[in-house]
Amino acid sequence: MARKKTNGPEISTAVSPEDSASASPPSPDRPLGPLSLPPLPPTHDIVKVNTMNAVELKNACNDALKRYLSRPGLFKQSYQHTDVRLALGWLSVFVAGGTGLYGYKVEFEQSKPVVWVGLILYMLLTFTQTLYAYFIEGDIVFVGKRKTFSKRIITERITLTSRTCPVSFPPKSATVSKPTDKSIPPQYALALSYVRSTSANKSLLAKGKTQAVAPYSQFFDADGKMDVAVFERWVGELVEEGMDGKDK
Amino acid sequence: MFSEELKAFRRLGFRHVLLQALNFASVIASGLMIWKGLGLLTNSESPIVVVLSGSMEPAFYRGDLLFLTNPASERYHNGDITVYKIPGADIPIVHRVLETHDVKSRGSSVPNQRLLTKGDNNEVNDIELYRGLSYLERKHIVGKVRGFLPYIGYVTIAMNDFPQLKYALLGGLGLLALIQRE
Repeated sequence: MARKKTNGPEISTAVSPEDSASASPPSPDRPLGPLSLPPLPPTHDIVKVNTMNAVELKNACNDALKRYLSRPGLFKQSYQHTDVRLALGWLSVFVAGGTGLYGYKVEFEQSKPVVWVGLILYMLLTFTQTLYAYFIEGDIVFVGKRKTFSKRIITERITLTSRTCPVSFPPKSATVSKPTDKSIPPQYALALSYVRSTSANKSLLAKGKTQAVAPYSQFFDADGKMDVAVFERWVGELVEEGMDGKDK
Repeated sequence: MFSEELKAFRRLGFRHVLLQALNFASVIASGLMIWKGLGLLTNSESPIVVVLSGSMEPAFYRGDLLFLTNPASERYHNGDITVYKIPGADIPIVHRVLETHDVKSRGSSVPNQRLLTKGDNNEVNDIELYRGLSYLERKHIVGKVRGFLPYIGYVTIAMNDFPQLKYALLGGLGLLALIQRE
């Protein structure tokens, strides 16, 4: 089994293309999964976070996930959720700014109707933003699409959600409770749903929903440096499972 | 000092910069809207004011924060503490109503009153402060004092006397909002 060494100092192991190509794909037109591409050369800087801050850990994992899955051979990221949030947000900022400016220029009694309109509009926009973020966007981190061509045009759509499982303790057994029962450190829970269909969604080829949980300590060392290769391999395995149509 | 953050920005792309800037802008926008909404609810141009002089001692001292409302249909009585602004002068004045006179108004919702005020700690009434007017009308009144908080207003006084403090605070807040991610 040949191992390729890449030119980056941080990555010590590499997944060679021959490994996954030897396993035959279950269906004849299953597109390439992320593990069958060579690992990304470390053109980006070392990711270093504060290990005590769970938010930073999760953001670092989410960013690495987005970089990994939006590589040229893999999915193209869909920015719809981000764009909606930006549009609604900036629109409400401009409405607020306009209302404030108007109230500043025009005398109080005269400005009241316009300021009322501006205030109601702002509240509606903020309310819509909140509803969108809570119900439609939820925990979604990455939405990607890919079109490949082998005999016919295949469209794939993948959606990933992630959240942090806080520190938890293993359930205490009634009879034995050892003082050495360790708490489980914060974990990164990743779930994905995958759909593969022919062009224009005419017929469904494969569908998969998988999820995995891993403690952050698997990807970050004590200094806060992120082992991107290990993370990418973990994500790649999960994505390939989803592409194979497993339901977990 | 900011090399880490700048590198992160370049790595994460333009949309991320827009998102972080939106964080900052929406904090300011929501503060502004809350202020305007409070003004509309209380029917007052400036529902929260800071006492700048000692003319209402021992009731209010310099640095006190005052909460005002200005209900359109309510009449003002002797003894009410009002905040008013004379056209041409920027500074609102907090004094007590000494006399009220009613004028027959033709069915307007706001009772047409003429007021004379005087500060508790002043020797004479406010005629000299009226800049030529003989009395105050309802349209000059910003509101009636409903409640107060002592000492809090010193933050505003400090920021007005030392504008660098204002810019430093705003700059610090902006930096924090641009760098932090939720």
